[in-house]
Amino acid sequence: MARIVGGIGASHAPSMEHVYDAGEGVRGSDEWQPLFGPFGEVAQWLEQLRPDRLIVVYNDHMDEFFLNAYPTFALGVADSYPVADEGFGARPFPPLPGDAAFGWHIARSLVADEFDITICQELEVDHGVISPLPMVDFAEGEGGWKIPIVPLAVNVILHPLPSPLRCWKLGRAIRRAVMSYAEDLDVVVVGTGGLSHQLTGPQFGRVTPDWDKEFMRLLAEEPESLTRYTYAELIKLGGTESVEVVNWLAMRGALPADARPVVEAYYAHRIMGYGLQAFGVEGAAA
Amino acid sequence: MSQTTTKELPDDYLRRLDAVQPRDLPPDLDLFDEHTATRGARLNKAAYSLKDEHQRTLFSTDEEAWMEQFGLTADERELVRRRDWIGLWRSGMSIYVMVKLSGVTDTPLPVIGKQMRESGGR
Repeated sequence: MARIVGGIGASHAPSMEHVYDAGEGVRGSDEWQPLFGPFGEVAQWLEQLRPDRLIVVYNDHMDEFFLNAYPTFALGVADSYPVADEGFGARPFPPLPGDAAFGWHIARSLVADEFDITICQELEVDHGVISPLPMVDFAEGEGGWKIPIVPLAVNVILHPLPSPLRCWKLGRAIRRAVMSYAEDLDVVVVGTGGLSHQLTGPQFGRVTPDWDKEFMRLLAEEPESLTRYTYAELIKLGGTESVEVVNWLAMRGALPADARPVVEAYYAHRIMGYGLQAFGVEGAAA
Repeated sequence: MSQTTTKELPDDYLRRLDAVQPRDLPPDLDLFDEHTATRGARLNKAAYSLKDEHQRTLFSTDEEAWMEQFGLTADERELVRRRDWIGLWRSGMSIYVMVKLSGVTDTPLPVIGKQMRESGGR
């Protein structure tokens, strides 16, 4: 049977892509070490844990999905996920390996659990997936991507959004989907996005570190308390675009209550509150 | 909220219905919702097209012909011509397609941010 052996919450942002693509020197610079150093620790932790699959709960930024038909939840059931052209030409990464059979099982399980997701046999992933993922799951040179993924996109862009409670329940449903899969797979669930940022209007660039740190504390210690926040509250606390944090809430919902952070980092820099939090699960190897 | 609790519309449902539409936000914390998506439908479709390399080439060679494809209003065209980012935002353009327009016009995000911050609300 498959089991969940860990979780990762990580910000996603084009800035992280620019830094990664600029090479080791920039990643390790004084400016970016506070973020990329901890990403290195998560990569090492993952290397020891050696999961077989990553389920990545993220949000698209109008790169695969558009307003003509915007899905609330969309699940990949493909064996390969190409990198989207976000308007500047696609980053030169090979397609990410998937696992269609596992994806279909998750689709059936979610629907059985009354999560009526959009099922995607083709899906191009954008920086919601591939801004944090190379830091923990990519070997430069011949190696390439290491761990097959199953992407799950959440609508955090076009209101009405699925409520924080709904996203938490999605995580619980992901947990059941993994545990009911017959194949013997170790799975890490990843949630990407946030933390505080405001990209529109006169408050452009507003970052709120106190709230971000409190969010990470609550996610670790009392995650269900976060399901009581409304989007109006989350927007006032962290900014219009910070509502992506519900992707972290889905990740945390897939973990056992006693999961605890093994790597934690927070770095407020320029226009982003960058967060990173890896959760270990009791009894998992590593 | 004007509706009253009934057997079929119980209190907890009405609370959920109320919470699903964020309200009472400061006016400078905008939402992308029914109103924005409706107002910005043409502009969003136009900027979204820039995912396609051919559309980017057309934009660079003949911006007017590029705009013509999407039936932009005279005001919307003027906003694009002027690179009026705050105006585009107020007209309903999503930040996520605005980023694609920033790419094809070689506008770094900090330039957009500066305009946004200096706009002083709406």
